[in-house]
Amino acid sequence: MIDTLLSGQLLFAALVTGSLYALIALGLNLVYGTMRMLNVAHGDVVMLGAYAAFWAFTLMGLSPLLAGPVVALMGAGLGVLLYRGVFRRLLAGVTPSTAGKIEGNSLLLFFGLSILMQNIAALAFTPNNRAYAALGEVYRIGGVAMTGNRLAALLVAGGCSIAAALFLSRSVAGLAMRAVIERREAASIVGVDVDRVQGLSFAVGFGSAALAGVLMSMLEQFSPFSGFPFTIAGFIVIILGGLGNVTGGLLAALLLGVIEVYGVALTSANLRSVLLYGTFVAALLIFPNGLIARRVMAR
Amino acid sequence: MASTASDRSFAALTAAGALVVVALPFLGNDYVVGVGLTVLMWLALTPSWCVLSRLTGYVSLGQVVFYGLGAYLVVVTWQAVPLWLAIPAAGLLAATFAALVGGPALRVRGPYFVILTFGLAELVKFSIMAYEAASGMAARILFGAPDLMVIYWLMAVLAGMSLLLLTWVSGSRFGHGLRSLRENEEAAETLGVPVERYKLLAFVLSAAIPGMVGAVMALRSTYFVVGQVFDPMVSVTVIAMALIGGGDNARGPVLGVLFLALLSELLWAQAPLLYMIILGAILVVFVLLVPDGVIGLARRLRRAETLA
Repeated sequence: MIDTLLSGQLLFAALVTGSLYALIALGLNLVYGTMRMLNVAHGDVVMLGAYAAFWAFTLMGLSPLLAGPVVALMGAGLGVLLYRGVFRRLLAGVTPSTAGKIEGNSLLLFFGLSILMQNIAALAFTPNNRAYAALGEVYRIGGVAMTGNRLAALLVAGGCSIAAALFLSRSVAGLAMRAVIERREAASIVGVDVDRVQGLSFAVGFGSAALAGVLMSMLEQFSPFSGFPFTIAGFIVIILGGLGNVTGGLLAALLLGVIEVYGVALTSANLRSVLLYGTFVAALLIFPNGLIARRVMAR
Repeated sequence: MASTASDRSFAALTAAGALVVVALPFLGNDYVVGVGLTVLMWLALTPSWCVLSRLTGYVSLGQVVFYGLGAYLVVVTWQAVPLWLAIPAAGLLAATFAALVGGPALRVRGPYFVILTFGLAELVKFSIMAYEAASGMAARILFGAPDLMVIYWLMAVLAGMSLLLLTWVSGSRFGHGLRSLRENEEAAETLGVPVERYKLLAFVLSAAIPGMVGAVMALRSTYFVVGQVFDPMVSVTVIAMALIGGGDNARGPVLGVLFLALLSELLWAQAPLLYMIILGAILVVFVLLVPDGVIGLARRLRRAETLA
């Protein structure tokens, strides 16, 4: 037992899970940060990305690594479409006094979208579990056996998360995004095009979720209804990591990966969902104001 | 205040509805009584939800947890505890659970409360599933469950209780307090509304009847699966029903329940996915275009008419 816990194998598994969660939380963080809307359909975009990779592989024989960028772009397109078609209108009527109501309403709206995506996917693709085998070759690094798909998922998800952290701290567009996340009105006064930033957040948010779905599809089986746990994982990460804080999110995501992988190793696979939802409920009860209070404390 | 004419017509409709509920078992066959039971079930669940979520604005997406706990209690104590005791005990269990988690949970606000309640319900579901799996009980079969008519009458009583509860709370001093904290919690507290106590009481009240509803519905199907009685779609359906109707009193939920329950009866068996797609679309459309529900829409139209 102790041997298993101390082996590099579990640590590697935790890193893979954690990096995937970091990538998922990244998009959720940007959409929530810039618009204060909790996108509970985020995990369903992950699910759709997984299906896109599955069909690309099984019908066209396309490697998920090649499908990844294309699916990410499609996800980004869906994000822009939803923003322009639906959410820009909802946000246009926001005043400080109605902000709370919009937050609650937008959540129900996203929940409706989530039900739509799940059931349309189930209608189109059947509700069965799907999986495929790609990049199954095994590499041995320092005594740890790693399959190509896990290694690829770790590198792509980790690389994208680090790139996003650099984008937010170095580029002008990234700084504008952070400005909107921290003080929306002030950012708009100093000339940040808030509408463009929000559109960009939706594009990056949905695109990264779709990419995360491609990576996820290589690792585990999925169905039209497997998206929601990823939304919950994303929420845990942004509650613990902090709003608009990609570095904090990276650490929180790794922590969640460790909790999940080691927790399951110590108990049983049946408890995976209990661990996930337990961490989620605990995180919210410890930080009852979600992200807002922590921003005030940080100031 | 709404016009008295519509109050009077609503009272007439209520009386007619009550008459249908009483007459149905004597006139209809088992299928019709089954449909009536479904409508009554939602009529018992939705107004209960409104007591907390409509009046205070703390939208709970975890109403099914009370239903599931109640059902689970009856199934676990089946043939060990008589029903007349088990059903009230199920209500008590649900209310106790609400009282225990309500303290910390109601400090969480806005959208966080919504997903927290969802997470709590899922946590309870998965915990019980893991426990059942560990003890080798994947599913249970209930022998000797009472007749459909008995279940129907029990549910009719619960639906009546739920509607009366919402009507009473909505018009009471307590209800005004709840509405005041929906508008502005800090201001309400400053004005002397005991915010914490009121929220918790509303949460407990909104839990008790769903606990008993779950207990009664567990008797309907002789085959018990944990995942089924904790199905999050019950919570979603309740919200959709309240959202379709709109308004603070019992009227909105009744309209929403009738519409959606009949729709689900038409579609659920033949095309469950299509039904879910329509449910999702209803959420999207109502949040975007008709946020105050049919009641609010009617009021707006009436006002426009008076102005014109």
